[in-house]
Amino acid sequence: MSDSNKSFSYDDDIVKKFLIATLLWGAVALLLGVFVASQLANWKLNLGLPWTTFGRLRPLHTNAAIFAFAGNGVFAAIYYSSQRLLKTRMWSDRLSRIHFWGWQAVIVSAALTLPLGITVGKEYAELEWPIAWTINALWVIFGVNYFKTLQVRRERHIYVAVWFYIATIVTVAVLHVLNTIQIPVSFWKSYPVYSGVQDALVQWWYGHNAVAFVLTTPFLGLMYYFLPKAAEKPVYSYRLSIIHFWSLVFIYIWAGPHHLLYTALPEWAQTLGMVFSVMLLAPSWGGMINGLLTLRGAWDRVRQDPVLKFFVAGLTFYGMATFEGPLLSIKSVSALGHYTDWIIGHVHGGALGWNGFMIFGMTYWLVPRLWKSNLYSRKMANVHFWFGFLGTVLYMVSMWVAGITQGLMWRAIDANGRLVYPDFVETVMRIVPLYWVRALGGALYLLGFVLLLVNVYKTVKRAPKSEKSEVQNAVTLARVPLASLGHTPHRILEGLPGAFSVLTLAAILVGTFFEIAPTFFSAEFAPAVPNLKPYTGLQLHGRDIYVREGCYNCHSQMIRPLIGETKRYGEYSRAEESIYDRPFQWGSKRTGPDLARVGGKYPDLWHYRHMADPREVVPGSLMPSYPWLLKDKTDFGIISRKLAVMKSLGVPYTDDDVRTAEGEARRDAKEIADKLVAEGASTSHQLEEREIVALIAYLQRLGSDFRKGLIK
Amino acid sequence: MNKPPQEEKSTGHIYDGIEELDHPVPKWFQAMFFATVLFGIAYFLYYSLGEGESIDQEYHRIIHAERLAQFERVAKTGGPKVPSGEEFQAFLKDAEKTKLGAVTYQAKCISCHGSQGQGGIGPNLTDEYWLHGGSMSQIYGTIANGVADKGMPPWALMVTHEEVIALTVYVKSLAGTHPPNAKAPQGEKVSN
Ligand code: HEC
Ligand code: HEC
Repeated sequence: MSDSNKSFSYDDDIVKKFLIATLLWGAVALLLGVFVASQLANWKLNLGLPWTTFGRLRPLHTNAAIFAFAGNGVFAAIYYSSQRLLKTRMWSDRLSRIHFWGWQAVIVSAALTLPLGITVGKEYAELEWPIAWTINALWVIFGVNYFKTLQVRRERHIYVAVWFYIATIVTVAVLHVLNTIQIPVSFWKSYPVYSGVQDALVQWWYGHNAVAFVLTTPFLGLMYYFLPKAAEKPVYSYRLSIIHFWSLVFIYIWAGPHHLLYTALPEWAQTLGMVFSVMLLAPSWGGMINGLLTLRGAWDRVRQDPVLKFFVAGLTFYGMATFEGPLLSIKSVSALGHYTDWIIGHVHGGALGWNGFMIFGMTYWLVPRLWKSNLYSRKMANVHFWFGFLGTVLYMVSMWVAGITQGLMWRAIDANGRLVYPDFVETVMRIVPLYWVRALGGALYLLGFVLLLVNVYKTVKRAPKSEKSEVQNAVTLARVPLASLGHTPHRILEGLPGAFSVLTLAAILVGTFFEIAPTFFSAEFAPAVPNLKPYTGLQLHGRDIYVREGCYNCHSQMIRPLIGETKRYGEYSRAEESIYDRPFQWGSKRTGPDLARVGGKYPDLWHYRHMADPREVVPGSLMPSYPWLLKDKTDFGIISRKLAVMKSLGVPYTDDDVRTAEGEARRDAKEIADKLVAEGASTSHQLEEREIVALIAYLQRLGSDFRKGLIK
Repeated sequence: MNKPPQEEKSTGHIYDGIEELDHPVPKWFQAMFFATVLFGIAYFLYYSLGEGESIDQEYHRIIHAERLAQFERVAKTGGPKVPSGEEFQAFLKDAEKTKLGAVTYQAKCISCHGSQGQGGIGPNLTDEYWLHGGSMSQIYGTIANGVADKGMPPWALMVTHEEVIALTVYVKSLAGTHPPNAKAPQGEKVSN
């Protein structure tokens, strides 16, 4: 190119858009968080309405926090810092806008569909296929825009922040696409192609790496740009950046199975997940120490400057969470902590302490610069910091105590070999006070956030009206021979973003391949069982109601081979038992008891009354009531189509099964309904038409194959 | 603080004003990294390819030891002794027993059998009709072992032996109390 000196301006409008979206959705995510936390402390807050129950709102809260708050936050960070680090405007303003508006549309549709019970039923991947595939498309648009921007950059080498952004873009694309391969049944219902153990592994490979590549790598990128900027200090160690970047990216992708310790996942895969999680400690801490050491000589400023304060605390919480993560991945620790609130505490140490604080620090630094104004009140920002800090600590500590207390109660066995706390609900009632403390912690955090909103509003309001973007000048890059890009191979690589991206992709594909590929070839993951019948149409439909209501947010279906567990629930779960489960419903949290063997444990009438009002049969229960299941009508018409899709996925239904599915389901429903009435169910008329009957059919199937000896 | 500022080695890289220094990677960090990697490799080799006890083996070892311990305990103490018919009859007049039975009943049984034994999800316990027999030892058996697949839990696993006996006594004492809203009879008529 001949025009070596072109003037241009940065697209800060898109940054402002993403930042405002971050703050708006942040408020929604936090409000929902405090609300669902309170629902666990007092069941009445479920309000008796389908779309306000915990099982439907909790996914909305997590999706809002991850994809709306943190997501928009990292987009703001990426669009602001990348343009400056690459000395160029984004390649296409139009693609930037499509990315922005598309992303907000996805969030709005999530906010509409999740409360309606439209969900895939896999954590952090709940959005149904039309939305999930829109996300895939938007991510590609974002990626194209970003890689084109890299191509037109005016900075020879790419900085470590950009490495982390590249890793984010490449990996999230792979993760999200592979985990959202679903076959639609209707516009708002689909089944994943994976089933059982395979679905579980793919899901947690995805779920864990959503934490890695949505909540970690882009935030490290954010940190590497905004922290030295705010501190006006050089970054401590370039070599440390290199080491911890590559090790983090390579190792993280293997760690997913630590969510599945002691489950029916083949043990070698569990062990891989555990050891790679332990190895993840140093790579994670590399980012923390590089950040903290960058602040050497600036500690006096940390005391006054809210931006640095948030960053320092954020990095410290990051360090704590990434120590706790490997700890919880050790099998014997997982045996105690898994399914309890300890995990919830762990996640929020990261989400509130690390992601939240990094976004807050960035916001306080960025808003005055974007709007060319001064921060309205530094004091208010400092108060925000302390509210946020106290809120996070209350949250974490209360959930540690709750988790460990309940974990110990679950496993307590007396000298006669009996469970000390055989009534599950007793272990729940014990920790309800801690649920209140947690809700209080969340409320404090939210209060601090409101101060941020006020501060930002006031800062923007007093900004000068004229918005002339500054004109930048930078020399267009001329082609140079490879060797002159740097003295070390890595330095040369930093001058070749394309090659850099390919290597990053290769790094994450290694772990992906070794963990996911065997699920397609090895019988360990989908053991064949000759006489095992798939779900009947009615059971399958009941299962979809279970998924719709989000029961998996409180109930697991995976009994681990631990003595306290098998005494409570029965024989531990086998891989065979999940082969027809699309999606798998092993769950990750036991706010209520495991349901893998609940079939036959209670009479139908017990379930009927329990679903209508759990407290009628289990005083003290905090499970929501589901009165609408006794009223709403079963959609028998869709059952044939469901079977047809399942059949296309290899489930052994015959053509006959598919054809007669509706009639069969009606007959099964009639049988259950007649029995319920005979036993004295307070019937609404046409009980056999109600959804409760389908749900009961499903619940009574759970574990029954094992009891009948069909599975060894 | 009074040390002269050290000359810091820079890489010379500067991006948007951010300079990168060239500090070596801290030694303790390297040590930590190598230690975890070594641990990881050793652990994986030992547990996946070597001698390491698998989760399944561990579970069965523990269950086995537990069964053995219970067996020895039973051998030593003679285990839970099911009272004879006469002993049960004597217990019926034992206020202590009926009281323990009533308390345990209120805590564990009313969700299915009603607060007065009138029945609900489970059968009426106050009438003369029994699905599994109306003698004290039959009732004891039903309570202790439950009725698999019908939703009557096996209580011997959840309450003490004393309590099972007390429950039996209490249930028996409900006979002929005619509570309101009693559930229709189920099972065979038994006259004792
Ligand atoms: C807010 C958390 C929560 C949600 C959501 C929830 N449950 Fe529960 N569930 C509980 C708790 C706590 C218990 C234990 C107390 C009780 O039995 O009510 C329980 C108990 C149960 C039991 C009895 C299990 C046993 O072995 O005693 C069943 C069955 C059950 N739930 C089914 C469901 C179904 C089906 C859904 C979805 C429609 C659901 N639950 C949603 C919390 C929840
Ligand atoms: C989850 C519900 C449930 C609970 C809780 C429950 N039962 Fe039952 N119980 C049943 C059902 C259902 C039956 C009938 C079994 C059958 O149909 O064979 C039954 C049967 C019985 C019988 C035999 C009745 C007969 O006609 O032979 C006795 C005695 C009994 N229960 C005592 C108790 C006692 C004592 C407790 C408390 C420790 C208790 N049950 C708790 C559901 C329950």
